Amino acid sequence: MGNSERDGGPPDPIDARIREIAHEIRVAEPRLPFRDRLSDAALTHLEGRRELRAALLRFVDAAPACHGPRERGAHLRAYLRQAPREQLPLPLRALAADPLGPALVPLGGAATRPAIRLLAHRFIAGRDAPAARSVLRRAWDRGEAFTLDLLGEATVTAGECDAYRDRCLAALDYLTELSAGWPAHPLLAEADRHGPLARVNLSVKLTALTPLLRAEAPERGASEAAARLRPLLRRARDLGAHLHLDMEWVDTRETLLSAVEALLAEEEFRSGPSAGIVVQAYLRDAGETLERVIDSPVCARQVPLTVRLVKGAYWEHESAEAGQVGWEPPVWATKGDTDRCFEALTRRLIELGDRVRPAIASHNLRSLSHAIAYHESRGGHRADIELQVLRGLGDSLARALAATAHRVRVYTPVGDLVAGMAYLVRRLLENSSSQGFLLQERSRPLEELLEPPR
Amino acid sequence: MSGFRNHPLLELRRADEREELRAAMAGLDRELPLRVPVVVSGRRTGGEGQTSIDPCAPERIVARWRAATEEEIGRALAAAEASAWPRTAIAERAAALERTAGLLDRDRRRLAALIVREAGKPWAESDAEVCEAIDFLRLYAEAARELDEDLLQAPGERNELRLVPRGPAAVISPWNFPLSIPAGMVSAALVMGSPVVFKPAEQTPATGAAFVEALLGSGVPTDALHLLPGDAAVGRRLVGAPEVATIAFTGSLAVGLEIHRRAYERTEGVHYLKRIVAELGGKNCVIVDSDADLDETVPEIVRSAYGYAGQKCSAAARLLAHRRIHARLCERLAGAVELLRVGPAEDFTTDVPALIDADAVTKVRGYAGLCQGRELARADAPTGGQYFVPTLAGDLPEDSPVLREEVFGPLLTVEAVRDLDEAVRRIRSLPQALTGGIFSRHPEHVERLVRELTAGNLYVNRHITGAVVGRQPFGGNGLSGTGARTGSRRYLWRFTDDQVICENTLRHGLELS
Repeated sequence: MGNSERDGGPPDPIDARIREIAHEIRVAEPRLPFRDRLSDAALTHLEGRRELRAALLRFVDAAPACHGPRERGAHLRAYLRQAPREQLPLPLRALAADPLGPALVPLGGAATRPAIRLLAHRFIAGRDAPAARSVLRRAWDRGEAFTLDLLGEATVTAGECDAYRDRCLAALDYLTELSAGWPAHPLLAEADRHGPLARVNLSVKLTALTPLLRAEAPERGASEAAARLRPLLRRARDLGAHLHLDMEWVDTRETLLSAVEALLAEEEFRSGPSAGIVVQAYLRDAGETLERVIDSPVCARQVPLTVRLVKGAYWEHESAEAGQVGWEPPVWATKGDTDRCFEALTRRLIELGDRVRPAIASHNLRSLSHAIAYHESRGGHRADIELQVLRGLGDSLARALAATAHRVRVYTPVGDLVAGMAYLVRRLLENSSSQGFLLQERSRPLEELLEPPR
Repeated sequence: MSGFRNHPLLELRRADEREELRAAMAGLDRELPLRVPVVVSGRRTGGEGQTSIDPCAPERIVARWRAATEEEIGRALAAAEASAWPRTAIAERAAALERTAGLLDRDRRRLAALIVREAGKPWAESDAEVCEAIDFLRLYAEAARELDEDLLQAPGERNELRLVPRGPAAVISPWNFPLSIPAGMVSAALVMGSPVVFKPAEQTPATGAAFVEALLGSGVPTDALHLLPGDAAVGRRLVGAPEVATIAFTGSLAVGLEIHRRAYERTEGVHYLKRIVAELGGKNCVIVDSDADLDETVPEIVRSAYGYAGQKCSAAARLLAHRRIHARLCERLAGAVELLRVGPAEDFTTDVPALIDADAVTKVRGYAGLCQGRELARADAPTGGQYFVPTLAGDLPEDSPVLREEVFGPLLTVEAVRDLDEAVRRIRSLPQALTGGIFSRHPEHVERLVRELTAGNLYVNRHITGAVVGRQPFGGNGLSGTGARTGSRRYLWRFTDDQVICENTLRHGLELS
């Protein structure tokens, strides 16, 4: 039952189609491999156990900084002791308890490394791009394209930013060589209405390209980031690869947009490479950001800009930071508001399809089905809309989308398993809890999931 | 905490907000140089001879002023002592503070610009300072109305504790928070019923004067607030004055100790045992545990040590890093320090502004000289003026004064420690204990350090500056101060005397209610 009916208004004409599409996708979703079902069960188990979840996330975050199993075990024990005892599964309860716990510390510490690795394998495709080669190839054969994300520590010095730039350059080279031999795949629709689509797709973080992010002086970080972004754009152009700039917290947005606007307007980048930015629907002014980008010189190039629409992963960070200084949060207060904004911007992006390449990134079945249905209703071809999911969270969804002949791209992090996982935990998981940790989508009944956002 | 809320900062990430501030600065610049009067009983008498300057462009004169004369000080003290302000209802006194807060809010951009100019403080921190001043006024106004303590009652008697004014207060304030620190001290004294004689810092009299005008414009009677600009001589005169009951001082340890000595020097004609409320700086240490998250630790330390060129009493001065993380921390921190941009406070891209005056440059240069050959990183700085190169130094000899004395400049030292116990030992050997920092992800280590460190304000896994009114009441232990915490309700008790009334309510066996 859609809310339009409840409200007494006419039902959205595409509502029925959204349901059909969602059912098709849901039916096509494969059963996850055992390893993923295991971590899925563990993560679902944590949903209702806030303190335990916080304790384990904090542990994953701190683990790489620990020296040996004893220290890891001591950290784990200390975090667990801050969670209510009844939330702890039995083995962890023993570790947290007195007087037995301290004796178990080395054992607990030794057991955690494989556990983190097991979980990390799910989210991280490999230590680096070469280590991820078979993961990427298998996905390609299933009909899933990739965008690679190089995990690493935050950059605080110029040298660290240079190193990140060099890793990106090397990844572009490697991926080009790797994917050149891949077979053509009709499902991936290697061209859309605008022309050929790059096989190599790299997502880069502005915060890794400059440590000089100053919300009150965006020009400072922008010029520094641009200096490191320029060689990346050149390489991507020369290799025919796509370069996508991820969006992070809102204080970095102006720096990113002004860097991108200035760079892509440069003569040498008029005809390439293919580039993309991100619009975060959880921001109350997301619509203005989209219009600003559309009206900027970035959209006047010969290659259309890809706009990835996401909900946003820093909701708690943004809310807390605004709360501390007495500002109205830049993010919507409820998930319903975000979802509504997401659908509105989805429609706007699809309408702009002759000028930009829309990429709809979500794990929410309703959000994705809505995008597909709306695109269809306007007579759009399947090749002209891209759907994106995250490795580890949208794996079965990606397979279902590919199987139902949709163009899908998987955001694929690579990096050191333990350190990378810590980084991922900090940047991804802990920030998305209030707005609905992504896994809970799967446990909710389909009908509920498909309700239009209110 | 009932209705009190911290005043919102300006959203400087918005370009239009930054533009408004630039316009406010242009407006202020057209008025320069300002005239700072001596204000005694509402009479403003100007003068020349002294100037305050823009630390980032010393040739620019911000204000002209002269020191209050002996005769003016005498008249101010006499008027303060005779003032009817202590007999004004507390609600009325509180209301005057709240009106003042409103005026500061109305003029917030101009005031921020004035702080940028006269104290050489970057915009974000200047704006935060205006908010802090507003917060002090509002919190103290609210707290004063409710300040009370319930006494035990027994049959046949009624016990009551009243807070009674103490007589005039002398407020002597520093230049590094030229608005908010005097706002805190002056408003606490006023709201508890003490008339105030106020000496702003020599370097920032115009900011102090702007605050006095806001109070007078909000209905604080002219005999209850006097502005006495001046140098150390004026301060000495006020501290020794028999009319003064309370001395509120924020500044250096040396001056703080001198105040304690001088306050009781004179005994004849003294009406009060002077109460001294002093905040005296510190040698603030930060411990970095072996499991610290350097991605976050490094930027937070940089902010703590080099923000406002290290000229905050809360600034980080000494870093003690677990030996296992020491090398990596030094390497990353050095890289971050090299990126600092030194420049004028009014430039939004500036990280580190100039030092307050030439004396400060000489002093910091002296300490930096002791670090020669041991620098791990130096940022670029414009030559000349009062700029000083942000410096990170390591491996200083244990007896180096740089490790014990307050530098008050952009100089941070880092040393390796064998374990946390050694870090605690070294920190506890310092006489001052104002702020401190702990970077650790081990909850038990954090708890242990919190128990063993004596700093008045401890920060865990974050920068150690920027205490917020009502959220992080601020003040030091040890030789860092007399223990009062600004920005808390309890602070007000220091500015008042208790009077206990016990009334017999039994009459001929009949209890009156």
